[in-house]
Amino acid sequence: MVTMEGVRRTLGPGVVFQCDAFHAAPGERVALWGPSGCGKSTMLNLVSGLLRPHGGVVRVDGVDITGLSGSRLDAFRGERYGFIFQTFNLLSPFTSLQNVVLGMRFADVVPEKEWKTRATAMLERVRLGHRLHSRPGTLSVGERQRVAIARALVNRPKLIVADEPTGSLDPKTAESVMALLLELCAEEGVTLLLVTHDRAVAERLPRMHDCTDLVKETVS
Amino acid sequence: MSLWHVAWNYLWNRKLTTAMTIISVALGVALISAVLTLREQTQKRFEEEGQAFDLVIGAKGNPLQLVLSTVYFLDAPTGNMSRADFEEIAKLEDVEAAFPLGMGDTFKGYRIVGTDRALMDFAWGDRRPYELEEGRYFEEAREAVIGAAVARDTGLRVGSSFISTHGFVDMPGAHQHEDKPYTVVGVMRRSGTPNDRAIFCNMESVWDAHDHGDAEEEAEHEHEHGEECNHDHGHGGVRADITAALVKLASPALRFEYKDKINRQYNAMAAIPVNEIQKLYEQLLGTAKAVLLAIGYLVVVISSMSILIGLYMSILQRRRDLAVMRALGATRGEIFGAVLIEAFWVTVLGIGVGWLLGAVVCYGLGVYLVAKLGFHVSAVALGPDLVTAYSAVLLMGLVAGILPAWQAYRTDIARDLAEL
Repeated sequence: MVTMEGVRRTLGPGVVFQCDAFHAAPGERVALWGPSGCGKSTMLNLVSGLLRPHGGVVRVDGVDITGLSGSRLDAFRGERYGFIFQTFNLLSPFTSLQNVVLGMRFADVVPEKEWKTRATAMLERVRLGHRLHSRPGTLSVGERQRVAIARALVNRPKLIVADEPTGSLDPKTAESVMALLLELCAEEGVTLLLVTHDRAVAERLPRMHDCTDLVKETVS
Repeated sequence: MSLWHVAWNYLWNRKLTTAMTIISVALGVALISAVLTLREQTQKRFEEEGQAFDLVIGAKGNPLQLVLSTVYFLDAPTGNMSRADFEEIAKLEDVEAAFPLGMGDTFKGYRIVGTDRALMDFAWGDRRPYELEEGRYFEEAREAVIGAAVARDTGLRVGSSFISTHGFVDMPGAHQHEDKPYTVVGVMRRSGTPNDRAIFCNMESVWDAHDHGDAEEEAEHEHEHGEECNHDHGHGGVRADITAALVKLASPALRFEYKDKINRQYNAMAAIPVNEIQKLYEQLLGTAKAVLLAIGYLVVVISSMSILIGLYMSILQRRRDLAVMRALGATRGEIFGAVLIEAFWVTVLGIGVGWLLGAVVCYGLGVYLVAKLGFHVSAVALGPDLVTAYSAVLLMGLVAGILPAWQAYRTDIARDLAEL
């Protein structure tokens, strides 16, 4: 599902991200673990096409995304990816339902007539059927992350990229959110790449990829 | 959910800023609306009234003053002209109708106009500006038919009597013709024309009021009134004179020919009412309109700057939202469009509110114009000038939205998601 070969990206003077090889099979759930600043988020950005590599190949679902034009990459990202962020990144002027609908509106992979029913069903799956019309500011942090999970999964993407999804949650909430995320990814058969610096969180996933040595300082 | 909806939600999310920006656009639009509407409407009404007669004839002097005093009852007459000249002109080949006017007195500021009984039957197109509401037309001397505004403001009714005041301005100490009271015999239907503010009687009444018999008495009259008499003594006091005449020709195409002919062959001046009004609007009021419009557009330009600054600040504050939208699959074009639509909403709402404010201002000034001129102007007319002005404002608003939209277009997803 995801392959990185000889991927290289200069991050600053004398600082280089280097990933010689990485592979995640379809439906696999992989934790990208490492300390802060080790390059795991950079790896996630390269996989999701938010950053372009300066060398090497990134393949997602069989497509070399490094060769895609900006607009093709936008469309590809909308179709194949679901994003979950540490700070939820819900759009504050919109309700839970509208946030999930927006996920479909911009991805443009689901017919418009299905948006509302599908978004409602997805929010019910994350146990927020009673909060459809609540704005993010009125939700608890756990509820916000569940809305974000619903938004990420509503398009039935091939790949979920989650950057520290429990980083802003208390342990109890983090536990329930992780359980929900893993359960839904397993049910949907979606590949999950989850970035975390928390080893305990990483160990909950079937596979842990150590990102400790991704960023290197070059000697000039 | 459309981009229109997305843009609207972001505007609604910052209601106060949005409302302030809309109001600033609205103020400029209201000023532009009021200036253009009043200018268009008053000119239209002036010209409509001016079209009733092809020529006005009076003593030589300022043609605009002649038109204003005889057609709109606004200014003092230019003097008197010979009645013999009038009668000769009335018999010219292409003159369909000619009506003498005699002026010199007022009642509570409303002008008393002596004329022929035939003028009361005058109609043009489907308009009958002298139609009666009640009573009858004047037949004898010192019988008066009053306009609707006169009846409303003075309380005069059919059967009422009143004493006229010498001159065109109602001022304390002005000479009153107490020995020659008028009796109201008719009240005219409201026509939305200057006739609403006039009192009509026959020429005899005017001559009677100012009939001093001979030169000595005329001189005594001058002495009696002294400086309190603010009109020139070219009023219709001498039976050989009239103040002015209204002339209807066989065709409007003959206006210039007859104007030149009368000016050349008679000791009188002819003027074409509609032309004088057009000159007034183009020369004098045109400058005032240009100044007011410039102020209006300046306000709109400043408002456009506030749209630009407001949107730009808003884009800076929601860089993360824009990055999230891009991560969700929104194209750069969609992000650009959503921000431009915000500028569109603000400008369109500003135009809508400004149009309403302008209509309120026009309504208020319209009430004043009814009282002052007898003219009814429409407060909500949407003429071609206004459509052009609103289009220009909308364009300015959209141009103001381009820079913030471009800023949004250039969103660097990875950096904005990481930095904020």
